[in-house]
Amino acid sequence: MFNMVSSIVAPFICGILMLFAKKINDRKTKVAFAVVMQSIITIFGLLTVFGDEVSTKSFVFIDNLTVGFTADLVAKFFCAIIVIAWLLVTIYAGVYMKHEKNEERFFLFSFLTEGAMLGAAFSDSLVSMYVFYELVTLLSMPLVLHSLTKESVGAAKKYLYYSIAGAFMALFGVFVVGTSAENLGFVAGGTFENVTPLVLTAVFVMCLGFGAKAGLFPLHGWLPTAHPVAPAPASALLSGVIAKAGVLAIIRTVFYTVGAKNIMGTWVQIALLVLSLLTVLMGSMMAYREKIFKKRLAFSTVSQISYVFCGLFLFNEAGMDGALWQIIFHAIVKVGLFLCAGAVIFLYGKTKVEELNGIGKKMPVTFTCFTALSLSLIGIPPMGGFFSKWELATASLDTTAIGALGWIIPVVLLVSALLTAGYLLDISIRAFFRDADDDTTKVKESKAMCVVLVILAVASLLGGIFATHTGNMISSIVSALF
Amino acid sequence: MEFIKNFPFITIVLSLFCSVICYAFKDKKARFVTYFLLIISSCMSFSVIMYNLFSETGYFAYRMGHYDAPIGNEISAGLLEPFFALLFEIVIFLSITGGYKRLQKDVEESKQRFFYIMINLTHAALMSLCYTNDIYTAYVFIEICTIASCALLMSSKRTRSLVAATRYTIFSLIGSSLVLIGIVLLYSVTGHLLFPNIFETIQALWATGEYTNPLTIALGLIISGLAIKSGMFPFHWWMPDTYGTATPCASGILSGVVSKGYIFLLLKMIYRVIGPQIFLESGINNILLVFGVCGMIVGSVSAIRTSNITFMTAYSSAAQIGYIYMGIGLGTKEALLAALFQIVAHSLTKPMLFLAAGGLSDTVGGKQDFDSLRSSAHYNKPSGIAFAAGALSMVGIPIFAGFVPKMLFSISAFGHGFKTYIVLLALAISTILNVIYFLRTLVNIYSPAIVDIPREKIHFSKIKVFTVVVIVMAIVNLTVGLHSQPIISLFEKGIEIFINIR
Amino acid sequence: MNELFLITPIFLPIILGAILFFIPFKNQKQRNAYVITSLILSSVAVWLSAFLVPDNSLTILHFTNELTLSLRLDGAGKIFSCLSATLWPITAIYAFDYMKHEEHHQMFYCFFVMAFGTTMGIAMAENILTMYLFYEMLTLTTIPLVAHGMTMKHNRAARKYMIYSIGGAAFAFAGVVFLIVNGAGTFRLGGNLVTVDNETLALVLYFFAFMGFGVKSAIFPLHGWLPTASVAPTPVTALLHAVAVVKAGAFALIRLTYYAYGTEFLYGSWAHYVVMAFSIFTIVYGSVTALRQKHFKRRLAYSTISNLSYIGFATTLMTPAGLVAAFCHLVFHSVIKIGAFFAAGSVLHNSEREFVPQLEGIGKKMPWTFGFFTVFALALTGIPPFCGFFSKWYIATAAFATDNPLATVGVIALLISALLTAIYMLSPAVKAFFPRENAEIHLDEIKEAKPAMLIPMGICVLLCIVLGLFVRIPVEIIGEVLGI
Repeated sequence: MFNMVSSIVAPFICGILMLFAKKINDRKTKVAFAVVMQSIITIFGLLTVFGDEVSTKSFVFIDNLTVGFTADLVAKFFCAIIVIAWLLVTIYAGVYMKHEKNEERFFLFSFLTEGAMLGAAFSDSLVSMYVFYELVTLLSMPLVLHSLTKESVGAAKKYLYYSIAGAFMALFGVFVVGTSAENLGFVAGGTFENVTPLVLTAVFVMCLGFGAKAGLFPLHGWLPTAHPVAPAPASALLSGVIAKAGVLAIIRTVFYTVGAKNIMGTWVQIALLVLSLLTVLMGSMMAYREKIFKKRLAFSTVSQISYVFCGLFLFNEAGMDGALWQIIFHAIVKVGLFLCAGAVIFLYGKTKVEELNGIGKKMPVTFTCFTALSLSLIGIPPMGGFFSKWELATASLDTTAIGALGWIIPVVLLVSALLTAGYLLDISIRAFFRDADDDTTKVKESKAMCVVLVILAVASLLGGIFATHTGNMISSIVSALF
Repeated sequence: MEFIKNFPFITIVLSLFCSVICYAFKDKKARFVTYFLLIISSCMSFSVIMYNLFSETGYFAYRMGHYDAPIGNEISAGLLEPFFALLFEIVIFLSITGGYKRLQKDVEESKQRFFYIMINLTHAALMSLCYTNDIYTAYVFIEICTIASCALLMSSKRTRSLVAATRYTIFSLIGSSLVLIGIVLLYSVTGHLLFPNIFETIQALWATGEYTNPLTIALGLIISGLAIKSGMFPFHWWMPDTYGTATPCASGILSGVVSKGYIFLLLKMIYRVIGPQIFLESGINNILLVFGVCGMIVGSVSAIRTSNITFMTAYSSAAQIGYIYMGIGLGTKEALLAALFQIVAHSLTKPMLFLAAGGLSDTVGGKQDFDSLRSSAHYNKPSGIAFAAGALSMVGIPIFAGFVPKMLFSISAFGHGFKTYIVLLALAISTILNVIYFLRTLVNIYSPAIVDIPREKIHFSKIKVFTVVVIVMAIVNLTVGLHSQPIISLFEKGIEIFINIR
Repeated sequence: MNELFLITPIFLPIILGAILFFIPFKNQKQRNAYVITSLILSSVAVWLSAFLVPDNSLTILHFTNELTLSLRLDGAGKIFSCLSATLWPITAIYAFDYMKHEEHHQMFYCFFVMAFGTTMGIAMAENILTMYLFYEMLTLTTIPLVAHGMTMKHNRAARKYMIYSIGGAAFAFAGVVFLIVNGAGTFRLGGNLVTVDNETLALVLYFFAFMGFGVKSAIFPLHGWLPTASVAPTPVTALLHAVAVVKAGAFALIRLTYYAYGTEFLYGSWAHYVVMAFSIFTIVYGSVTALRQKHFKRRLAYSTISNLSYIGFATTLMTPAGLVAAFCHLVFHSVIKIGAFFAAGSVLHNSEREFVPQLEGIGKKMPWTFGFFTVFALALTGIPPFCGFFSKWYIATAAFATDNPLATVGVIALLISALLTAIYMLSPAVKAFFPRENAEIHLDEIKEAKPAMLIPMGICVLLCIVLGLFVRIPVEIIGEVLGI
């Protein structure tokens, strides 16, 4: 229990300590300080992951509005993703933020957001999670507007308002569920015996609301605006990890509060699947046409996270399995892709795709990793991403409950995969097989950045090696729910 | 104790007597004659009230002269008649005392005793209107009252007053003429001059259906005549000029007392001559109701549009009289109670407002427009306070006298079908309109000045008497507002007697 | 201690305030001491009454045989009076520093203290006539406060306030008289109206009374006076238009609906739906208009309009849960809004900047003020664990508990309003702390607010947090005190 509570509390403390780090004049010391603190947090997190399933007592506001923490399987799953991703990004940011001002503020909010994320992950009730979910929004907004240009402030506001709009839509659902249920604690399989149409509508609205963070249509609009203007480490965290908070929220709502069996076969399931597919397709298409590098990646996030939703809303074991794998791989890949894009900006200041001709020669390590990660995202074996996509496709074919959608889904996934190939490999091809348009001098790639990228690329390739333990965890989650 | 029965008669005769002897005195002494008269009369009226409260019947009729009814003349006193007599006396007394300084300025030295003569005459006329039981006597004293009021108005040195007084006289006389024609018609149809006798005859005639038209016309004429004289819509428009240009004392008396005397006579006509039954059957009451409501609204709207403080107060009188007619028009006892209380409240408040307005305009050398009067309340504190009290009473803020009639009107409004809505709406809208102009002015007189004119700071030690009078009026207002039950009980008893005793 | 003591909290401040005008103080410090002592004494009297005075009525005087001026301190009155009693001295402390540079202090503080007494009168009224009397008195004692400054702007604002308030009361008066005539004048939970002759008349007059008293509670379309009145000095706006005057309006609506007419009589009638619809519309209207305001205090004024209709909406639910929710929001919103106005006032006072776009970057110079403001913004939006979230929760759960479809619409309106609140409250905070790169900021003469202004804000922040974290306690107390 100590580990769990520490992993939640420590980031907050570290964040505040960063404020004092302003006094340190030597940049290297500052960065080292941050990295060390993050490592401590990661250790706590991993200890919790490998530890027992513990829970704390709940702090009661009113009858069924409680705040409490539990380290059950889903929590551990997300915790692992969060702390590992955060460590890698912090190391990377140590180098990247050399070009930005106000580093301390960045790290401050980075830590605070991490704390909020962990709080949300470990929450044991709907209200508790909602509280931390809101905190995540509020604390991550300063990350977006970090550079304080007009665009970034505007983008941050857009992010804030979309997220809060989504949160309030979700709140409507929380109200309804709160009045219909006895308590709002998370129980595998849900606590509802049967549901009224009002509750169904509430669940739908909640999914739309929480989906805002995850880029589900129609509240995805903030993603493409926010990513280009945020500093690369922030984009990586946003797409790779913070967006998953939305997924977490939906999992907790659907599977641990209302219960999948109550939603299976209803209009809510169909509607959500349709929306997810729509998002998958739309995201890929917009990414294909997008000329700004980070914006292309942003649209890609929109698309890829909806793969997760496709899997989740199938409400069968295979679908869940695929979804969880997709979460892991997408996190790894997307963080990596954004860090690559960041490296390009850091070294050469280039933001547009068409400017990337021939850059592979100047940044070989970066773009090799980029290519590896791309292959995983597209779903080409033996890269890890293939696993998840395959599971998703087969899962949908297996389900009879959704009728025609059963075969539409794989088709859409396939088309999307093709588009993904198009928009990602295009970059790799430009980088390696075209000549540079201008004669910029080669700048050496940063060692720290490269290390991080390589780790990520290897992880995406060797998904299988980590697969066993993670696979066990995932299977346990799945079996608990079905 | 039986001696008390003589008092009403004595008050009338004494007033006439005093008005004559005033001629012989110089201004200062004349004033004291009037004071003496008023004090004695008040005591007498008060005794009559007490007497009737404790007597068995609560009412008495008094034979004037040697002949009994229906040939001789008669006056009667229940509870309402002496009460209003007392009220009028108090108001006149306070108006004269408070307006004395101003009177010295406005009226020529040599003419001042005429002023007091006229006041005494007015007093006599009002007493008669209160107590009389005879229609012809009523007419005579209506005329005396008209002439005396005209003289009061004319007394001011300003040329405008002459024009205003002339206009007043013309319209007042039109009213009187209508009353006269009505009386003549009535006499020729019924053959009687005394109220009880006329009443019996009318009831009999109405039941048989004979002479319905002439009777209706006669009654209509009398009511219209009295309405014109008291300023009911649409005959109110000459009022502001008259009140606005006269000396505050006269304005106070006229708006506070004289018009109410005519209304009281009108009430006598309705309840003692026509009878409530015929009054309601004929539908005249609806006409009064409609005009009353219109008066409430139109009077207030005109008050909003004017930029002269005394004109505004005068238009406000038109509105307040509208309330009374609304109450009369509803026709029930509760409504009558409300109307009577409104008379009380208005009589007590309006003179105070006129005096205060006069005091305020004195600080800027007689100017009466709002722009000049800004911040004048700081220069003449008693006037400011008096105006504040008066304004709040007019608006109908609880604890002030003006709230009670508002409450009584609302209570009496229920149970009349759609008329309920009209009355309640009219009350609400009228309150809002009152707020707009009264409280606007109130804020105005306390705001910093914007026009640069010479201002005179009038410390209250210079106007001791004025201050005392105004404070007394305010206190009376508050007392009536806070302890209205005694008056209401008196009215309830009085109304019973008034309506039922013949 | 018996009910005779109830005279103290009402008349003591009125008398002390009136006397204030005539005392020649040597300097401001002396006068401030007098003011704060008067207010604390009165506050103590209120709290003592709340705990020690039994629930009996005290007749002060008889207008007529049936109509009396009577006092009685029941549960609802206790909540409102204690709330006001707590916040008034705090505002006085804030006002001392703020008003140092203004003129005409005597009159200002005189009416400031008197208004406290009249507000207590509204809280402790036993019957509707008494409440009506003190209601009008409150208008009268607060007009000079709004008009303070005496410029044309202030005069116009005072006039508008006056006409709207007294006008509203004039319409409400019809309803008041109706209740008295039908024997339902005395306040009793559940109301006294059993049967009436003319039901249409009863409901029409209820509607008039609701809209009439609703003027002070800023219901659309009678809300116009509130934004105009924000020209008054900030202590006035903070107290009166976040706590006393507007909450008196909300309180009057609660008395009218639950304690006079009675929910049994009103539930399900057309009047019920109509007033609920007006409340819901105002909720959204207030928030939308707040968003479009560039003037800081006017933005907060429109926010108040919206939030008052949260209370109005809860009132129009006409269930016991709705009553608890209404009081909950009444208390919580007061704390939040008064703090927000304090913050806005400090900014205005120290920087003379009235408009939101001008606030860019001030967070650097006034970090405490804007930090506190951010807390208020979050609380108002309804982010847990601040108290604002819980009052919204109660309103929503009460709404869902009734099977009224219009109530669900109300909850949606509430959430839309919450989103808009987030936008219009957080954007000044964001602007202040995260100024854009190329924005031209001149922050030279701006200093942080003095402790006299910061401490009241800090107290409010503390209350926001404490009331939120331990929300069970206030809610239980409210429920118990109300007798539900």
